[in-house]
Amino acid sequence: MAHLKGEDTAMFTRVVALAGTLVLTLTACGGSDNSGTASTNPDDGTQLTMWVRSATDQFSQRLVDAYNQSHKNKVALTIIPNDNYLTKVGAAAGSRSLPDILASDVVYTPNYTKQGLFQDLTGDVKGLPYYSSIAKSHLDVASYQDKIYAVPHKLDSSVLFYNKNLFKQAGLDPEKPPKNFDEILAYARKITALGNGITGWDLAGSCGGCNVYTLFPYAWADGKEVLSADGKKVDINNDSFKAIFKLYKQTSDENLVDSSDKTQDGATWPANFLAGKVGMLALGSPIVGDLLKQTAFEWGVTPLMSPDGAKTATFTGGDVAGIAATSQHKAQAWDFLKWTLEESSQVEIIAKNGDLPGRTDLGGNKYTAADPRTKIIAEGLKNGHTPFALPFGDLFNNPNGPWLETVRAALYGPDINKALADGQAKIQAGLDAAG
Amino acid sequence: MSPVTLTRVETGAPAPAAAPRPSRGPAARRPLTGWLFVAPTALIVAALFLAPLGVLIYMSFTDWPLLADPTLNGLDNYRAIANDDMFLEAITFTLVYTAITTVVLFAVAFVLVAISNSYRRGTRFYRTAFFLPYVVGVAAASTMWWVDAHDQLGVFNQVLRGVGLIEAPVGFLETPGKALFTVIALVVWKFIGFQVIVLLVGLQSIPEELYEAARVDGASAWQRLRYITIPGLKPTLALLTVLSVTGSLLAFDQFYVLTHGGPDNSTVTVVLALYNKAFQSFRLGDAAAEAVVLLVALVLLNVIQLRLLRNREN
Amino acid sequence: MRATRTVLFHAVSAALAILFLFPLLWALLNSLKTTAEANQQPPTWFPQSLSLDNYRSLTTFDQGIATYLWNSVLVSALTVIGSVVVCVLGGFGFARFTFRGKHLLFVATLAILMVPYATILLPLYILLARMGLQNTLIGLALVLVMFQIPFGIFLMRNSFEAIPRELEEAALVDGCSNYGAFRHVSLRMVMPGAVTVGLFSFLTSWNEYLAPLIFLNDGSKYTLPVMLVNIRYASYNIIDFGALQAGVVIAMLPCLVVYLLLQRFYVSGLVAGALRG
Repeated sequence: MAHLKGEDTAMFTRVVALAGTLVLTLTACGGSDNSGTASTNPDDGTQLTMWVRSATDQFSQRLVDAYNQSHKNKVALTIIPNDNYLTKVGAAAGSRSLPDILASDVVYTPNYTKQGLFQDLTGDVKGLPYYSSIAKSHLDVASYQDKIYAVPHKLDSSVLFYNKNLFKQAGLDPEKPPKNFDEILAYARKITALGNGITGWDLAGSCGGCNVYTLFPYAWADGKEVLSADGKKVDINNDSFKAIFKLYKQTSDENLVDSSDKTQDGATWPANFLAGKVGMLALGSPIVGDLLKQTAFEWGVTPLMSPDGAKTATFTGGDVAGIAATSQHKAQAWDFLKWTLEESSQVEIIAKNGDLPGRTDLGGNKYTAADPRTKIIAEGLKNGHTPFALPFGDLFNNPNGPWLETVRAALYGPDINKALADGQAKIQAGLDAAG
Repeated sequence: MSPVTLTRVETGAPAPAAAPRPSRGPAARRPLTGWLFVAPTALIVAALFLAPLGVLIYMSFTDWPLLADPTLNGLDNYRAIANDDMFLEAITFTLVYTAITTVVLFAVAFVLVAISNSYRRGTRFYRTAFFLPYVVGVAAASTMWWVDAHDQLGVFNQVLRGVGLIEAPVGFLETPGKALFTVIALVVWKFIGFQVIVLLVGLQSIPEELYEAARVDGASAWQRLRYITIPGLKPTLALLTVLSVTGSLLAFDQFYVLTHGGPDNSTVTVVLALYNKAFQSFRLGDAAAEAVVLLVALVLLNVIQLRLLRNREN
Repeated sequence: MRATRTVLFHAVSAALAILFLFPLLWALLNSLKTTAEANQQPPTWFPQSLSLDNYRSLTTFDQGIATYLWNSVLVSALTVIGSVVVCVLGGFGFARFTFRGKHLLFVATLAILMVPYATILLPLYILLARMGLQNTLIGLALVLVMFQIPFGIFLMRNSFEAIPRELEEAALVDGCSNYGAFRHVSLRMVMPGAVTVGLFSFLTSWNEYLAPLIFLNDGSKYTLPVMLVNIRYASYNIIDFGALQAGVVIAMLPCLVVYLLLQRFYVSGLVAGALRG
C-alpha cells in the first residue's frame, strides 16, 4: 500500500545488506547445507511461484519483495481470496498445476499433508541450526506420520485487546485489564452503560474459525485438551466450555455486544473495535499492525485466561508454507523458505511490522520487545496451542460445519448443556468418519 | 427434449408474415456445408462441455483423491447420498427457494412491465432504471449488497432509520427468514430487468390489429387481456419459467456471497452443498455423484416442463 | 381524473426506479468520499468533500488496478469476438441446413444450462491442463465462450430463421455462393441479434469471478472481479470499504456504458431472436 512505500524502501536496503552478508557467511561455511543440493547454489535465477490466501497478502508480499531484491531467484506471488483458497488448491491439485510454494492456513494443513500435496522437508528442516526454536505448534500440525511438510509462514496468536480510553470513561483503571470471567462481565456492563452505541464486549456469532481462535484458549488455560494430540477425540462437553458459553451468552443476552455480532461471519470482525466502539475484544495479533497505526485511542492487551483466571493460553494460528509435491524446483523453493526463517527476515521484515516471529529464540528482538504490548503477545506464545485433526477445517472452520452449529445453539438457543452434548456427538462423529 | 419442442413453444406467438419454415431451403441440401458452419460450436461443446461432463460422470464412480490416482468404487458414492443429511435438506430448501423466487419474479415483473409498456412520457427512463442492475456483474452486485446490508456501515439500515421505520438495525441476515428475504430481494433487483425486457418484447410481438379488431367487437379490457394478451404471451412465459426454474435450482453465487448457507445452515442450496463437499471436504467422488443426480433431475424436469407447456398449447 | 392517474403513475414508477438505481448511485457516492469517511459508521449521506483517494489506493492494491483492467479487457475482447463468430456461424448452420446429429448437437448446447457450473470446474480444469490451455487468457476465454453458447446459438438460430428465405434465394439466383449469400443478405439482417450476443458475452466475461480465479494461476493474470473479492477478504478482515466501492464502480461502469450505447440493438435483437422461433 502507498503509505508503506517510504518505509519499504528503507527496509529493502537494510534487507539487501543483511542478505548479502548472509550469503557470504553461508558460502564461507560451506557444507552447512545438508539438503542434498549442496553441490549447486540454489539461488540460480529460477522463477518460482507461490500462492497465499488474501489474509496474509501484505505480509507475504513484503517477504517476497525483499527476497526478490536480494536474490537471483524470483518468486511470483499470487494472492487468492480466503474463501476460495481451498477451491483453488483443490482444482489445481487435480490438474497438477500447483505452484512451487504453497501456503496454507495452519488448521487446514493436515488436509493437504494427508492428500500428499507437500514434499517431505524433514531433512531440510531438522538440518537448520535453529530447528529447535521454530514454532513447534506449527511444525506439529505440518507433520504427518513423523515427517515434516511445511514451516511457519506467518504466526499469530489470540489475545484480549481492550480500549483504554473507554476503560477510563467507564471509571475503570486502564492499566488493569480483566483477570477472569467475572471481571470481564462486570467491565463489559460498565462500558456498555456508557451508551452511544458503545459496547463492552464483542463476539463473532456466525464464524466458526473465530470461535476456535478465541474460545479454545479459555478451555486450554483451564486444563482441557479440547482435541486429543492425535486429533481423534474431541472434548467440548465439559465445565470449561459451559463456563465459556455462559459468559458469552450472557454478554449477548444483556446486549453487551453489538447487534451485528449475531451475523458476524468474521469478515468485518475487528471493525467496531478499531472504530473505538468496543471496550474489550478477544482477537489476535494480526490486527496489531493496524492498532499501532491508529491514534484515535490507547489500547492494551492481556492474555486469554481460564474462567477463574488462574492460567492463560493462546491459539497459535497463522499460515505455514511448504513445497508442492509437483514442484520441479525443490532446492530453489527451499532456499526461499529457509531465507524467510532466518534472523534477518524474521526480525527486519516480520517483527518490524508488528507481526510475530516464527522462532521462539527471536521473541525478544528489538522491535517486539520495544512495545510492552507486542512483548506480552510474544511471551504468551509459550502457552500456545494449535489443534490438530485431519478434517479440522471441515468440522470447525466450515460455515456449514458442526462447530458453528454448536456455537450458535449455545449462544442463541435455550440450553447450553444440550447444545454442547449435541455438538460433542456431531463433531466426534465427523472425526470418526475421517478415520 | 428435441429442438423442435423448443421451437414449437416459441412459435406460439402469432407469427409475422415471413413465418419460419422447417429448414428446407436450397442450402439445406448440402449437409457438409452445414457441418462446417456448426463445427466451431461442436468443437467447443465437445471439448469443453461433453468431455468434462464425461470426466465428471467417471469421477462419480471413483474415490478421487486430490493428487494420487483415482480408484473405482462402483456405486458407493451414489449410495452415500441417502445418508447425506445436508444434501437432502438442501434439496427441500432449494425447491422452496425456487418456488418463492419464481412467483415473486413474475409478480414484480408484471408491475414493472405495466409501467414500462405505458405510452406516458418518461417510460424509457423507468425501463432503463429497472434494467441497469442486470448489467452489473454478480461479483460487483453481491459485494455492493453485502456492504449495504451491514448493520453499522450499511445504507439499508441507515435509510430505514432515516425515515423512522426502525430504531435498532434490522440484521438483514440474522434469521433464516430475513436471510432468505434479503437474498430474494437481491435476486429480484439483479435479474428482474431481463425478465421485464423479454416480457415487453413478447407483448410488442402481439399484432396490434388483434387488439383493434377486439375493440371493434366491443371486447372489454379484461377480455382483451384474457383472450389476446395472455395467449399471446404464453411462449414468452414458458421460456421465462424454464429459465427461472433452472436458474433458481442451480442458485449458488448469491447464497455463497451473502449468507454462506447460514444462519444455522438454513440457506444451503443444492449446489452450495455439493460445492462444499468438493472443495471444503475434498470428497470429489461424492460431490460428482450428487452433481450427476442433479443434472439428471434437471434434464427430466425440463423435458416434463416443456412437454406440459406444449400440450397445454395444443 | 386523468391527471391524477398520471401523477400516481409517475409517483409509483419514480419510487421504483429510485429503488433500483439507489444501490448503484450509493456505491458511486461512497467511492468519492475520503477513505476515512467511506469507512465511517454510520455512513454519511453525501461526501463531505470529494476525493479520489479510494481510486488512488486501487492503483497500488496487489498488482495494481491497471493490470486487472487490462486483463479484463483482453479476456472480454477475446470472449466477445469468439462468441459472436461461433454463434453467428452456428446459428446459421442450425437455421439453414439439415445434417446428421443436428438435433443431438442442439440439445447438447442447451444442456450446458443444466449443469451446475461449480461442479464441472474441476474436470474442466483437468482437461484444459491436458490441452495446455490452463493459466492462459485464451483458455479462459474459450470456457467463457462455451458458457455463451446455449443462449447465443438459440438466439442466432432464431434470428436467421426469422429472415425471409426469399431474400436469400434471390441472392443465390444472382450468382452468389452459399457463403456470399450468407454474408451479404443474412448478416446485415441479424446484426441486432449478433450485437445482443456480443453484449451478453461482454457482460458475462467482464463480470465472471470463479472461472478466472480457478483457471488462472498467476496473480498478474487475474481480472477485476478477483481483485474485488481480494479487497473484501484482505489482511485479516480489515477492509477498506472506500476502495471496495471504488472497485465496484470501476467494475460496473463499462457495463453500464456499453449497455446504454447498444440498448437499441439489444431490444430488437431479442425481438428477432428470442421470441420468433
